[in-house]
Amino acid sequence: MTTVSEIGQAAVPAVASLKGCTRRYPGVLALDSATFDVAPGEVRALLGKNGAGKSTLIRMLTGAEIPDSGTVLIDGAELTHTGSGRAQESFEKGVRVVYQELSLVPGMTLAENLFLGRWPRKGGVIQYAAMEAEASEAMARLGLDLPPDRLVAGLSPAERQLLEIARAMLGKPKLVILDEPTSSLAAAEAEKVMAAVTRVAAQGIAVIYVSHRMNEIRQIAHSATIMRDGRIIDTVDVKGADTREIVRLMLGSEASQAPVLEDRSLSETVLEVKDLAVWPKLASISFSLKKGEVLGIAGLLGSGRTELLQAIMGVRRFDAGDIRADGKSVKSAGYKEMVRRGFGYTPESRKEEGIVPLLGVDENTLSTNFAGVSTNGVLSASRMAEATRKIIERLHIKTARTDTPIGTLSGGNQQKVVIGRWVYAGSRVMLLDEPTRGVDIEAKAQIYAIIRQLAAEGRSVIFVSSEIEELPLVCDRVLVLRDGALQEEFKSPNIDQDSLMAACITGH
Amino acid sequence: MSLDHAAKQAASEKAKKSGFTFSQHMNELSLFFAIAVLYVIFASTAPGFMSFNNQVNILRDAATIGIAAWAVTLIIIAGEIDVSVGPMVAFISVELAFLLQWGVPTPAAFVLAIALGALLGAVSGVLRAYFDVPSFVATLGMWSALRGTALFVTDALPVSIGRNDMLDALDRSVLGIPPAAIIMLVLFAVFAFVSRKTAFGRSVFAIGGNAHAAFLSGIRVSRIRVALFAIGGAMAAISGILLVSRLGSGNATAANGLEFDVIAAVVVGGTALSGGRGSMLGTLLGVLVITLIGNGLVLLGINPFFQQVVRGMIIVIAVLANIQAIKRSLSRNKG
Repeated sequence: MTTVSEIGQAAVPAVASLKGCTRRYPGVLALDSATFDVAPGEVRALLGKNGAGKSTLIRMLTGAEIPDSGTVLIDGAELTHTGSGRAQESFEKGVRVVYQELSLVPGMTLAENLFLGRWPRKGGVIQYAAMEAEASEAMARLGLDLPPDRLVAGLSPAERQLLEIARAMLGKPKLVILDEPTSSLAAAEAEKVMAAVTRVAAQGIAVIYVSHRMNEIRQIAHSATIMRDGRIIDTVDVKGADTREIVRLMLGSEASQAPVLEDRSLSETVLEVKDLAVWPKLASISFSLKKGEVLGIAGLLGSGRTELLQAIMGVRRFDAGDIRADGKSVKSAGYKEMVRRGFGYTPESRKEEGIVPLLGVDENTLSTNFAGVSTNGVLSASRMAEATRKIIERLHIKTARTDTPIGTLSGGNQQKVVIGRWVYAGSRVMLLDEPTRGVDIEAKAQIYAIIRQLAAEGRSVIFVSSEIEELPLVCDRVLVLRDGALQEEFKSPNIDQDSLMAACITGH
Repeated sequence: MSLDHAAKQAASEKAKKSGFTFSQHMNELSLFFAIAVLYVIFASTAPGFMSFNNQVNILRDAATIGIAAWAVTLIIIAGEIDVSVGPMVAFISVELAFLLQWGVPTPAAFVLAIALGALLGAVSGVLRAYFDVPSFVATLGMWSALRGTALFVTDALPVSIGRNDMLDALDRSVLGIPPAAIIMLVLFAVFAFVSRKTAFGRSVFAIGGNAHAAFLSGIRVSRIRVALFAIGGAMAAISGILLVSRLGSGNATAANGLEFDVIAAVVVGGTALSGGRGSMLGTLLGVLVITLIGNGLVLLGINPFFQQVVRGMIIVIAVLANIQAIKRSLSRNKG
């Protein structure tokens, strides 16, 4: 390993470079004169908050985007295509990306997936023996010891990720970019992926590793580039860098004075979670939620935040522990029962699970309780409009009419409807999973205000977010979820962004 | 996929090192069993079921469904559907009869019939691949237009072809086996090979399993979709030719409801309507199940209206049992 790292530091020409690249989108400077080099055999971590410019930087290297100014060099030569051929040009020069969303075909074998669309063939007939031999070899190079004729459907998430990396490794790549490859994996599984990354680098291939897990980064990366607001802030040696220093670089030094929130939480406990385990994501979770309290849960993507909310809502079975709502165990309660008890849940992926895009704002709002606006099972248009209008006014939803299809609304207004649904249903405890994802700044502020207002009315809220900076703005208390357990607790007004971020990304 | 599920899989991964898993063949095994049961029941209750003549009849009936079903299996694996099979067969039979009446040489008429079938199929394929018309709608339009055209030009009367040695030969058994059955089996072998061993066949699975991934890996998704429907049309045309040889005429009212038998056979055979999963062997067995049920119920002398009820129930029960068997063996595998 030391030799590899030395190669990384020595005067070996860079495999891939950005020279003063700038990319501007309407209203945003996505990449601001970025200069970046990565050497053969080097594992470079790429760090930054959402929207810091990591994806834009990656898209520059893959040729998916063209810089407004500046140049991109792969293997010493500049990318010259200015159209859709640019991605192909970058690919041919040896750049490969493994994205978070997997691109495997479950019903086909490992070997077939590995060579998908590029199967070795003679006159249209696939040469299975040769293909499977080559597949075994390619997988063995990454420490993946599986029969190549097995179906992908039976693989674990880590094995699928390794297969994706093996696919990226075909055809002698120069640079492999991994976009949060371990975010959906439990710790033990992530180890396998990291071991594979080390093997990739040992073959003299440069790796860009996007991740926020500091323990992983320390384990496998040589250096880390930190981005913020479209700029490359610094590249540091991970071995010597202090986590708090990296956090400071990621978040910047902008005044982060947390507002003083009026704590209205009462002594009455509405929800108590004790030693909850959802194997393998959550090992032992205990906390309680008071009436009128906004409790934040901070944690990285894949830390088990969603699993926790789903376990409480009865959507996901838990393996051990107890959940009590108003003092009564909910062990055998399903989702419907939880809703009946006054719990409401807004899912993380609003588009897929939160809304029915073609139905109106009214039906999307009222679906939790159609009985409230119908007589003998027949919906009353006037009562629907009236009930919807109440919610629209309370949550300041911008919509032309009550029956406008929700899909035509902005993300922020859609999210307000999803929250409004539970306000209409009269929920006392709201579990909000990333309620501000994909929402503009103004709508975010409105959503914070709505949440505070709901709390002031005596409702309790669990607010899950991976955007550290918003937690102090809305939460009375924040718990940090990491490695399957709640690690630290912060209480308003002492919720400090830097400490919070450090607590999220630090390893064991 | 849920994570706890995945972790359980990882825990048991050592237990399943072999590429051959029972679950991958559970579907075919349960169909073999179903066919055996049907044979036992009909052999003991239906008079004449086991006779050589009846077995030949079963083969000939199977050919009518089977030839079209091979192509439809690929279409369904690709995540599409083709409901135009019956009218396509009838339309081609009429077209072939007219070509022969006009004195077109028989071999040329055959080629033209198959080419026209492929062309009409390709129209559905182009609508699907390049204009995003759902394949159900594209082929439903074809279903109505083809039947309508055939009825319109013939006034629903058979179009006779007179004496034709080549067509007669196609209806003359070889060693007791009807040529239609031989053609079906040869085409089965071709389709089984193509689906399992060729880049084209595997591309079909890839498109049905994850069209986006297939596209990104360079598979020409649109072209393959067009090709699939063209193949579907060509196979229906072959069935049409065999129909003419059997009836001695082109017939606009023939093959009524054939598309449903074909789709039922494919689905009973374990091919997922959602795409990505299926096998030719499964479809072959599915064709046999559908044909055996039809044949047995007739021999039992059951009221033809009630036959449809029994058939419908048997199809649903077969698919239900199949799904359960696969689920159970998968969960056992994942453990």
